[in-house]
Parts: sequence; C-alpha cells; structure tokens
Amino acid sequence: MNLPSNLSKSCLIAAVIFWIIIATEEKDIGLMPIMFVSLIPIFFVVTIVVIGSICPIFWLRKSETFGNKAIFKTFYPYYAIIAFGICSFGIIASDFDIYMIAFFTSAFITTSQCWVWFAKEKD
Amino acid sequence: MKQISVIIASFLFSLLFFEKYIGLNLSIFSIITIVFLGVYNPVKFKDKTVLLFTLAYLLTAVFVFVQHSYLSIIANCVAFFTLVGRVSQSNTSIYVNWLNGLYTTIAGFFHRNIQVDEDKTKVKWNKDIDVLHWTKLIGIPLFFVIMFVLLYKNGNPVFNDLISKIDFSFINVQWVLFSVLGYYLFSNISKPIRVEPATSTDLNVKNELLKSDDFSEEKLQKEKQLGTTLIGLLNLLIVFYIVTDISYLMTNQTVKASVFSSQVHSGINTLISSIIIAIIIILYVFRGNLNFYKENKVLKYLTYTWIILNALLIVLIAIKNHNYITAFGLTYKRIGVHIYILLAFIGLITTFIKVLSIKNMAFLFRRNTQIAFIALIGFSSINWDHAITSYNLNHAKSFDLDYLIGLSENNALLLKKYSQKAELSSNYYNRIDKKYATYLQRTEERSWQEKAYADFYLTENDKSL
Repeated sequence: MNLPSNLSKSCLIAAVIFWIIIATEEKDIGLMPIMFVSLIPIFFVVTIVVIGSICPIFWLRKSETFGNKAIFKTFYPYYAIIAFGICSFGIIASDFDIYMIAFFTSAFITTSQCWVWFAKEKD
Repeated sequence: MKQISVIIASFLFSLLFFEKYIGLNLSIFSIITIVFLGVYNPVKFKDKTVLLFTLAYLLTAVFVFVQHSYLSIIANCVAFFTLVGRVSQSNTSIYVNWLNGLYTTIAGFFHRNIQVDEDKTKVKWNKDIDVLHWTKLIGIPLFFVIMFVLLYKNGNPVFNDLISKIDFSFINVQWVLFSVLGYYLFSNISKPIRVEPATSTDLNVKNELLKSDDFSEEKLQKEKQLGTTLIGLLNLLIVFYIVTDISYLMTNQTVKASVFSSQVHSGINTLISSIIIAIIIILYVFRGNLNFYKENKVLKYLTYTWIILNALLIVLIAIKNHNYITAFGLTYKRIGVHIYILLAFIGLITTFIKVLSIKNMAFLFRRNTQIAFIALIGFSSINWDHAITSYNLNHAKSFDLDYLIGLSENNALLLKKYSQKAELSSNYYNRIDKKYATYLQRTEERSWQEKAYADFYLTENDKSL
C-alpha cells in the first residue's frame, strides 16, 4: 500500500474541499495564512481517519485471492453508508453550521476517494 | 446526452431545494427522479415490481404535498431508496433494495470509478478527453491566480480599486455548490449499482427450508420433547393470564389518570416484550430438521395454539390502549403502541405461516420488511397532528391542551377554531393565537416550492379568524 502518497493526496483534497465550502461564506483575505496552516491539522485528522478506519480493512483482508478491488466492492458500501450516516448526523446536529458542513463533507469525500486510490493500486 | 440531462436535472434540483423548506418541491423532485430513472433504465421499467415501487414512490410524493408531515417525508425518502435499489436489481428482498438504493445514491460515483476499467465506453471517452489534464489545466492556474489577486489587493491601492470594480456578486457560489450536489445525486442514480455479495447471496437464498444432512431421529426426539414441554407449559400460563386479564377488563373501574397510565404503559411494554420472546422461541424450536420430523404434530398444534393465544393477548392489549385513548385522548405514544401491536400481530401471522409452510428465516425477514414498508406508506397518508387534535377536541373525555399546542402547525387552524368556541384561560387563548399567527405568517412567506396542499386552500375566512 502506497500510504504516504495516498495520505498526501487525501490531505490536499480535504483541504481544498474544506476551504472551498468555507469560502462561500467567509471571504476574508485574512484567512489565507490560516488556510495554509490548516494543512497541518487536516493532515493529522486525515492520517488518523485513514490509518484507523480504512487501512486495517486492507491489511486484515488482503490475500492472494482477495485483491484490492474485491475488498473495495465488499466493504466500501457499508463503510460509505456508515460514514454518510455519521457525517449527516454531524451536520444536522450542528444545525447546518458552515464549518461543520465543510468538515463533514470533506471527510466523506476524502475517505471515499481514498478508498478508490487504495483499490486502484496494483495487487 | 447523458451529461446534458444530468446537468438539467441538477439545475432543477437547485431550483427546487436551494434555501427552501420541504413542500411541493419534494413531490416535483420525485416526478423528476422517476422520469430520469425511466429514461436511463427503460428496460427495467418494463418489470411489474419496478412499476409497483414507482407507484408507491409517487404515492408518497402526493402524501408529502397533501399531508406535509415528517412521516410522509421519511416515507418518501425510503420509497426513493427502494425504487433506486429495485432498478439496480429486481427480484431481491426489500432490505437489499434499501441497501442498493442507499449505496447508489450516496456513493455511486466512487463505485463507478473503480469499474472504469471494465467500462469500455468510459475508457474511450477518457482517452478522447483527458479529464484529469483539463481539470489540472483549469483548476490549478485558477486557484493560484485568485490567491495572488487577493494577495496583491493589499499591496497596491490602484490595483485594489481596479479589482474591487469587478463584481461577481451575481454568482452565488453556494447555489453552484448545491447544483454540484444535485449533479452528484443524479449522476449516481442514473445507473444504479448493486452491493455484492449481498445482492447475489440474497438472490440465491430461497424462502423454503431444506432438510439438512445431519438428520438424526434420536436428536430430534429430544428436541421435540423439550419443545413440547416448553410450549405446553407456556400455553397453560398464557391461558391463565388471559382469563385473569379478561376478568380485570370486565371489572375495571375508573381510576386516576396517573395510575391508569402507569398500569397501561408497564403492562403493554411487558406484554409486547413477551410476544417478541414468544416469536423468538418458536423460531428457535422450528429452526431446522424438526420441521421434517414425522412425530412433530403435537408440537406443531401446541405452537399454533400458542400463536393464537398470543394473538388474543394482542387484542387485549389493543382494548386496554383503546380504553386509555378514549379516556385521556390520542397522543403519538398511544398511536405508537397501536402501531407496535399491529406489527407484532402481523409478526405472529408470518410466524404462523413460517411454521405451517416450512419456510426459513429469510422468508420471515422478507415478508416482515415488506409489510413494514407498506405500513410506513400507509401511515404516512395520515396527517397525524391534525388527526390527534381533531379526535381529542371532538371525542376524548379529557385531553392535554398543552400537548396539542406543542404539536406542529398542521393543527393551528383546528385549535384556533376551538379557541373561539370553548371557554379557555387567557394563557391558552394567547398561546393558540400566537401559534395561528405564526402559521399564517409562514404560509404567506412560503415560496411556491415550499407550499403544501393546505396552503392553497386557506380561505379568507380562515385568515381573518
């Protein structure tokens, strides 16, 4: 598994989605430095979520007969449904706060895309 | 062609839902979804069950507009997932339809991304137009140009003035992002996908129970003895309980509301639990080869008797709950008890059929979830807030007015009319008046997307109350 590459791409995609959504309400130029600094906590969050929830599935279930794509097709549907449920709950519980919408939307899209990258890696 | 229709659908999605509450928009969305699914999956729509689920979805769309209740919205969403799941694979159980429908709706894009290698047309399209290259070519320079423009703005007042004159306020970025969400949704459902191996496993599992290889008469004899003793004793116990319960109901005198409430709630909770445990015991006893054992007749008759006695127990619970409602009015909790016992009753019937026709657990899950789905659609056809208020004001011996005022605006008009006829304290009168004023104000402020059936038929007389 090419973990460093996937984590870097995931971190970038999470940051872009997060700040695009925030930018629809907050158009302050003063946020620009925060945008770059935010890459650090975003990287940590992405790393924890990816290593804690996606990688174990690949590490535990991968075998010669059960490749990356098979793992994706078997487990990703349930992962996506649970992640979607948690993210939707988070957004609703926060009363549609823009920061929470940005956080949970980027979390759902990033983890899903991360699954795709892992699945596309050659067995 | 596909891209154009998805873009049009996403535009309509934004038009219907962006910064709007639920109302007529959800009903129109349902029609758009059906047309969209029909255009992309014309073969699937020749299947009778798909047409049946389409009808169910349309029905829930009508209920959303007419009843405008939370339950009708939930029923509409469930019907949407069921239809999408049905289009992905017909002949599967309804819970597999939900799984496929939900997965297609929320993550179809990512799933198709994996299947891209298997999809020749998509590969060809990707070769003709290098999407990634174009995204990079447009996205990266655009991002950095915007970033540097924002930075330079602070460095030079002339540049700042020039940039400030460029007005992009006509572009609503949130609206654009909302359209992207609509695009994602319609793109996902355009070609519903199946969750594997759940779908193929479900297709392979039949409803009939089959005799397994480890058929042992000696073992089954012991199992039969245990089952007969257990269910026989439980039959005796339930007969004794029913006799005492009937005598209690016959001699029941008027008691205080709090005592009655406590008796009914604790009694009903216990009895419902006992019925569920009864179903579990029957399922355990008849889980395997005992169904095919020649000398199981006594056990089967005892089981049928026990099911019938449990059904009688349900009738007694329903009578108690009904007495409670007659005395103290309808509430959601009391309606919930009625629905709960109705579903338990249906559960007993399906268990009876399972034992009688030697069916497996899959049969039970399939039938019960189908019935739950039908029940959800049926119950969503009722405007419960209106029904509760109407019943309590006209038929209940006593009721809690605070509870009725706390319900949704669907009962505002009823309460207002009631407050003009009944003698109420100023506190109640003011609260009802405030609720009605808020209801009228919201009705006036609603855009066409948010309207419900009642909003169109609010007369001038009603407004001037």
